[in-house]
Amino acid sequence: MSKKIKISVGMSTCNIAAGSRKLFQSLEKKVEDGEINAELSIMGCLGMCHAEPQLRVTNTDGSETLYEGVNLPKLGKIVTDHLQSGTPVANWAVKIDERLDRQQRIVLRNSGRTNPEVLEDYLSNDGYKALESVLKGTPEQVIETMIAAGLRGRGGAGFPTGLKWKFALAEKRDKKYIVCNADEGDPGAFMDRTVLESDPHAVLEGMAIQAFATGANEGYIYCRAEYPLAIERLNKAIAQAEEKGFLGDNIFGTDFRLHLHIKEGAGAFVCGEETALMASIEGQRGMPRLRPPFPAQSGLFGKPTTINNVETLASVPWIIRNGADAYAAIGTEKSKGTKVFALAGKIKNGGLIEVPMGITLREIIEEIGGGTGTHRKVKAAQLGGPSGGCVPAELFDTRIDYDEVTKTGAIMGSGGMIILDETTCMVDVARYFLDFTQLESCGKCTFCRIGTKRMLEILTRICEGNGEPEDIDLLEELAVQIKDTSLCGLGQTAPNPVLTTLRYFRHEYEEHINQKKCRAGKCPNLCGFEITDNCTGCTVCALQCPVDAITGVRKEKHIIDQDTCVRCGVCRDVCKFDAVKVV
Amino acid sequence: MSTVNFILNGKPATAESGKTILDAARESGYFIPTFCHNEQLKPFASCFVCAVEVEGRRTLVPSCSTEVLEGMVVNTENERVKKAQKTCVELLLSDHVGDCLGPCMTTCPAGIDIPGFISHIANGDDQAALELIMLNMPLAGSLGRVCTRPCETACRRQLVEEPIAICQLKRFPADQAELGSDYFSNIQKIGKRVAIVGAGPAGLSAAYFLQIIGVDCTVFDAHENPGGMIRYGIPSYRLPRDIIDGEVKIIKELGAEFRFGTKLGTDVTLDQIRDEYDAVFLGLGAQSASSMRTPGEELPGVQSGIEFLGKVSRDETLPIRKKVVVVGGGNTAIDAARTALRLGADEVSILYRRAREQMPAWDEEIDAALEEGVQLETLAAPVKIEQADDRLVLTCVRMELGEPDASGRRRPVPVEGSEFTMEVDDIIAAIGQNVDASMVSGLELTDWRSIQADERTGQTSIEGVFAGGDCVTGADIAVQAVGAGRRAAFAIKQYLLGEPIVGDPKTYNHSMGELDEIAGAVTEPFEKNARNPMPHLDPKARAKTFDEVETGFTEEQARAEAARCMECGCRDAHECALRDYATAFDVDPSRFSGSRRSFRRDASHEVLVYEEHKCIQCGSCVRACDELFESPCVGFAGRGFTARVKPALDRALVLIDNEHLPKLAEFCPVGALTLKTDSVATLNR
Repeated sequence: MSKKIKISVGMSTCNIAAGSRKLFQSLEKKVEDGEINAELSIMGCLGMCHAEPQLRVTNTDGSETLYEGVNLPKLGKIVTDHLQSGTPVANWAVKIDERLDRQQRIVLRNSGRTNPEVLEDYLSNDGYKALESVLKGTPEQVIETMIAAGLRGRGGAGFPTGLKWKFALAEKRDKKYIVCNADEGDPGAFMDRTVLESDPHAVLEGMAIQAFATGANEGYIYCRAEYPLAIERLNKAIAQAEEKGFLGDNIFGTDFRLHLHIKEGAGAFVCGEETALMASIEGQRGMPRLRPPFPAQSGLFGKPTTINNVETLASVPWIIRNGADAYAAIGTEKSKGTKVFALAGKIKNGGLIEVPMGITLREIIEEIGGGTGTHRKVKAAQLGGPSGGCVPAELFDTRIDYDEVTKTGAIMGSGGMIILDETTCMVDVARYFLDFTQLESCGKCTFCRIGTKRMLEILTRICEGNGEPEDIDLLEELAVQIKDTSLCGLGQTAPNPVLTTLRYFRHEYEEHINQKKCRAGKCPNLCGFEITDNCTGCTVCALQCPVDAITGVRKEKHIIDQDTCVRCGVCRDVCKFDAVKVV
Repeated sequence: MSTVNFILNGKPATAESGKTILDAARESGYFIPTFCHNEQLKPFASCFVCAVEVEGRRTLVPSCSTEVLEGMVVNTENERVKKAQKTCVELLLSDHVGDCLGPCMTTCPAGIDIPGFISHIANGDDQAALELIMLNMPLAGSLGRVCTRPCETACRRQLVEEPIAICQLKRFPADQAELGSDYFSNIQKIGKRVAIVGAGPAGLSAAYFLQIIGVDCTVFDAHENPGGMIRYGIPSYRLPRDIIDGEVKIIKELGAEFRFGTKLGTDVTLDQIRDEYDAVFLGLGAQSASSMRTPGEELPGVQSGIEFLGKVSRDETLPIRKKVVVVGGGNTAIDAARTALRLGADEVSILYRRAREQMPAWDEEIDAALEEGVQLETLAAPVKIEQADDRLVLTCVRMELGEPDASGRRRPVPVEGSEFTMEVDDIIAAIGQNVDASMVSGLELTDWRSIQADERTGQTSIEGVFAGGDCVTGADIAVQAVGAGRRAAFAIKQYLLGEPIVGDPKTYNHSMGELDEIAGAVTEPFEKNARNPMPHLDPKARAKTFDEVETGFTEEQARAEAARCMECGCRDAHECALRDYATAFDVDPSRFSGSRRSFRRDASHEVLVYEEHKCIQCGSCVRACDELFESPCVGFAGRGFTARVKPALDRALVLIDNEHLPKLAEFCPVGALTLKTDSVATLNR
């Protein structure tokens, strides 16, 4: 029997949102109808969100063609030219590793390559071999490897994973738990979702190794309910692994057993905090509590518990298979291995990337991300989500390293990286993130509950043009005190976006307050727009203006009526000639 | 039992191992504030007011739930910690909606517990009402008749219809009940003597409170009887003299000695008094009449209102001639005019340079005068007075109102060529009174020639000499003088004992705001119920006698009027941790002002009241339900700034069937959960 062509359609949430389900259904019908003779499959996400949907054709000779930005008309031509006639559509085909050259894929090793719903795909890529091998040794050996590898928790805090496991193992108790923290909550972050959707077995194998190393036999995956596809694939994967004896009782024929449950979280940001997360699993309100006792001593249901993040766990099988040295060889002195980032905002190649520690922000943003993709300059990068901070473009030579990033006032966090350009108002950015944390505070601690609200009110009045000179001092005072007197990481880091923007963009705050001016053209009360001589009279702005404030004759310079204009900035966003300036 | 050694505020300390920093520090005598901490419950660490510094820790740590460990270096009172404590309280206050004390009470210069005494009247306990009033006000019956009642302008009931008749209610128990002689037993004398100059409201108040707190007083007064301006400036048809005498009797029974007919500067000097007594309080009043600055005002037949009323106080049969003009628009002018009628004058008119709306006298008093036949000549001012045989010719000029002056009232401007004359027998000039402090040399005076004295303590520029009342403030209302006398009494005792002189300690008071800031939900439960009018003698019958015009509420009226009180103020005002710390840390409640909770009171339960607007989210009630009652009666709901403690499933409290529910009140560190059986804002002695 001659080998069939294999078509893999990207079926991650992002691909589906971009329209891949329609492509899949169309191909499915064509295969059923016998129009094409091919094996139809799905794949996870390659991380190139800017170019979805994607589909990969594995030709009979083993060569691969990746199509991106496919829609139904394009698919028609791909079917006729390539799938039926064997001639790839050269114009739409991209070299698979074109944007992957600068990346190093450990966590994302199978993402966008294998079918996440098929166990055999995982197995054929050395799946569960790491688990099989550790079961032949001792928990102490696993921990030794993890410590030697230097893996630090990828959830944000960066605590050494091996040490965490060691503490848990040291607790001599009859019942212990493991937890996979998949409550990814930072706005603009989707690393965990992608890994769970694209390679669920990698996380399960990591958990099994985590359980063996810490002496646990029951575990939870705490995943937000907003990730239904991830939950569906996890459920499938758990069933597959249990059937094969990779999970459940007598794993690989040993007396090691592990039973996993999925706990769907209701979407409270604070439940990503480990003590709140455990409270939520227990059926309590998701509210953090004071540590100590740490989860390793008294965690879920009062038992020793080891909590690791999705990305951390997905790294574990690779480390076991390739050895601690191979992992430790990547990165910097104190930050080993690779890190996944979610690039979003004003960036050309938005999506998910995995890079070696030690790479600079500039390499990520300019070389992998391709810059803003417009004539505008990058102004800053917001790292670490709402708990993080804004790193200005002048500091883009900063290396990706837990300690180096912390020095800038931002944090590594879970890997959210939002690129900001000249049209971003830094006061408004701080306000945006504070609005998020303020709403997501659990309301337990006084400073976090009321203090962040007061900071938000101050920022709002600055953006509305009602700021007073003493507001900056009040903001700083509150920021410092909120960090000092909050129980959990949410409160302790919530002021970071304000503190970093005050540190690097204080002049923007001062302009808002003293000159009543927003240079970015974001705060409607503090800016206006004017059309410059660059205008070619293309009329696009006039057509897009929601209040018909722009008039002008075709091919002649247009004019904005300042009395009608509502300062929404749409004209500037749509202008291709950089002819709209902020005044 | 093992112990740990640690460093506490720079000094070596030991504690049993396993103790929290909070317990260890408290055992060592250090004060750490707490809200969410409760001995009966597990540590929660939410309020963070107990946060302290532990060396090596990045952040402050909640001392209530952090164990003290060997070698720990703990700081519970450095600047970082104190600043956090203060900010914590300020933040909580910025989202705390409620009043510690009713607005009436905070407005009353004497600080009378108004909702408290009114509640006693409503319950029919006049004795308790009088005792409560007398904690702040020795002249309950007198001021119950003549007080200008600033409290009523603040009364929230006017948002429903009209303010409570607070002043007239105060008179009721004073008329009905009497303080037993054993009421003030167990007074510990401190063995010092104080001289009080002036037996007016300020001096009487100072004497009363000094005697109660164990200091013997001697009261000197130039007049022959006590009362000062309330006797010699207020006619007896408004304030019968036996009322004043009855109140002075109590002060005498407390041990104060009175020396009447002794004028300072003439019969005795300040230096003599200072030599003889351990301290001095000056309550001299403002007894010198202001001039009309009108040519002819020195003529016989022209006299000041205060001089006239003083004379009548001594002799109510004083002869008067037929036609009398009173110049002025204040209560003294009205008093003089009505008194002139009672002495037998045929025609009495009041000349005032502005319009009636601008008259400082009370509306009720003006109405009463008009009813009795007094005529009102407004927008007219005297220009000159001339003698015409045995009568006087008063030349006046018409006025019109111009731009507002410094007091905010529109300035009267003469209308050119509008002069007119009237022939009269007597002219009484009730323009106002000034302080005459000429008899006390060596005291620092204000720009207005009144005595310079500290507002809270009454301390003057001379050590051991205190002052209060009109002689400090200039002519003001009697209740201000009573308040000043009270504050000075505490300060004088502090001075005599060599303590820091701070006066009556200032307690923090939270407020829901001014009348226009009060949410509709506050008044919504109250149905309209008109204010009870004060019964009075018929105008025709009363205008020729000095019988008391206002006859006082009947019992039925008093109870009904008292029942109108909305009981503003907090049931927990005297046990509230938030208020205590706000006082202790001298906070600025407006530093973080912004959006705040909505008023939401659940009084559906038989005994427990939940006021969500006062909750500080400490979670003590939630934890008590979980940990002690094993029943989720209340819980947390929502997130962020709008997170709230709510009854289970956000139902009304009455629908929560749990016998333990009333116990929650004792777990609440503020007044969010209280029992209906607790009375609102009753002062502790």
